[in-house]
Amino acid sequence: MKNSPRSEAAVRSDNIRIESLGVYLPEKIVSMEEMLASCRRRPRWDLERITGIRERRMAVGEYAIDLGIKAARQALAMSAYRAEDLDVIVCTSISKYNGENGFHLEPATAVRIRAAIGAGKARVFDVVNACAGMFTGIYVLQGMIRSGMARCGLVVSGELNMPLAQTAARELRHSFDGQLVALTLGDGGAALVIDRSPDTQAGFRHIDLVTGARHDHYCYSRPSRRGPGGILVTKARGLQRKGNEHFPAYFKRALDSSGWTLDDLQHIIPHQVSVRAIENGVRAVGRYLGGTLPDITRCCADHYGNTSTTSHFLAIHDAILQGRIQNGHNAMLVSGASGIVIAHATYTFDELPQRYRARFAGDR
Amino acid sequence: MSRCRIESLGISLPRRHFRRWGSIRHAVQAGRQCLKTSQHCKADVGLLINAGVHRDHHICEPAMAVFIQHRLGINMEFQGRSTLSFDLQNGGCGMLDAAHVVAAQLQSGEIEAGLVVASETNPDRHPDPNFACPASGAALLLDRSPWSGSGFGEFAFHTRDEYADAYTSLVSLAEKRGRIIMKRRDELEDTYLSLAGAVVEEVLARDGLRREEIDLVVPAQISAAFLSRLPAVIGFPDGRVANFSDRLPDTLSTSLFLALKLAMDGRRPVPGQKALLLAFGSGITVAAATYHF
Repeated sequence: MKNSPRSEAAVRSDNIRIESLGVYLPEKIVSMEEMLASCRRRPRWDLERITGIRERRMAVGEYAIDLGIKAARQALAMSAYRAEDLDVIVCTSISKYNGENGFHLEPATAVRIRAAIGAGKARVFDVVNACAGMFTGIYVLQGMIRSGMARCGLVVSGELNMPLAQTAARELRHSFDGQLVALTLGDGGAALVIDRSPDTQAGFRHIDLVTGARHDHYCYSRPSRRGPGGILVTKARGLQRKGNEHFPAYFKRALDSSGWTLDDLQHIIPHQVSVRAIENGVRAVGRYLGGTLPDITRCCADHYGNTSTTSHFLAIHDAILQGRIQNGHNAMLVSGASGIVIAHATYTFDELPQRYRARFAGDR
Repeated sequence: MSRCRIESLGISLPRRHFRRWGSIRHAVQAGRQCLKTSQHCKADVGLLINAGVHRDHHICEPAMAVFIQHRLGINMEFQGRSTLSFDLQNGGCGMLDAAHVVAAQLQSGEIEAGLVVASETNPDRHPDPNFACPASGAALLLDRSPWSGSGFGEFAFHTRDEYADAYTSLVSLAEKRGRIIMKRRDELEDTYLSLAGAVVEEVLARDGLRREEIDLVVPAQISAAFLSRLPAVIGFPDGRVANFSDRLPDTLSTSLFLALKLAMDGRRPVPGQKALLLAFGSGITVAAATYHF
């Protein structure tokens, strides 16, 4: 380790924390208008107005694994841990376009990331749980850290979603096509170094993930049956309706488990499906809680699109650099994923926002 | 602290049917068998991990574990008791990885019981000739052992990423419906063997065991030639290494636990006996775990 962030004797907390955060955003920007213009049969909807997504990033000459590796390097650059200190690397990408040939299943993407960053003693495996992948990786690491099987680990994801959008642009047949939602996707990478929080008042207070498997038919991704490439098919309205029906109860449960009320929350960081979906979700929680939620929802979908697993951490990246997230702030992270998976986590920031701004604000 | 034990084990062996069984069907068959022989009810399963690599229709979202949870009827709705399902992928070592993850969640008190399933299939109409593994499934129900001495002992995972290209598998998207392309170098088995000795040493040392105390070694059934060379490499007599290569081909992620089930059916272990489990997979990763019956 470069500088030990804690001594063993100082450990009092059972919380895990985000010791360091790294994100990577490709430079190329693709607007919704350009995306729609590339469609062989242009849908008649004004998707920018319906979704609130103006643009997204697109990786050129990079694969999903490259996005993950660059994010991991960013995270390690700000971490007190070196790559060789990492005990576990969990790669949670859904899109495993790690080369020209297709979708890589073996070896695990985490093996390649380990080799690229030089984490020679890390145990590696991939976790796939749709858009709740990074949440699931954090949950897995929480168990390993609490049980003493690991001291620190890396949860990393590189999402190359634009091939799905390109297939949709080729294959869309009509304005109600199930692939329409693929036009909202964007590329990005995120990585988190996770360890045990030295402070009982900081870190993850509550992590809860639940799978309602009866609703597994709302969204799926697989190779196209009509031509080359992969497809993402989503029944967006049904998925949103079913999610909004159930997730407010889990939202309240997360608040209760953390001993918080809405007044204790400074930020709600939802999965960045679309601006409109987030607004609908906020209204659903408001209805459930019997009031209107304060304006604390952080949204970056308008300029990054839906970057699947990485979306929460791109939103945190933005909010920190905008100075909205400060040390000691409380946040509720909310995720909904195909499955349907509903995930909630309550988190208290330590000094990460200050360190993050100091390191990255100048680069922006 | 109580150990994590295999409370129940179910398998779905490779079979010939008029209609091919897919990965979900094999996983569900193994899962049903596992739950049938378990003392736990379905609702006790708080975590379901699917460690299979190749899947029906090459689906990559949602997690295949979700479909398996649905078909097994485990806490399918949001109300009441809940289950988290996800996929864990690490080639042939995935089930041991998943067992280790479940053990961590059991120890940290997050869940009462966890189900690890794996299944393999090749859904392609014209399968890659290099993919010679028949479809199969395996499932483990894990919980905290009521006996202080029984259950999983230690785990060890050795990954040598310099051999990452020795074993690759991908779904080519150049053609419609996708197609699995698998490449395994000829020297793959030699690489496995070169790593096996060190991982066995490490896991035995961590658990404070000597080789004489291990009653049974259960390796993944890579091939007959591999299994004939393995005992000498890891320092065990031939008779103590389970070899079912005459009736069990390599089935990738399910292979280790298919072999364990056959070994337990043939010679029921008595309390106090110890086993060494060995898995081999892409990465290259060799994994070992000790198990106290």
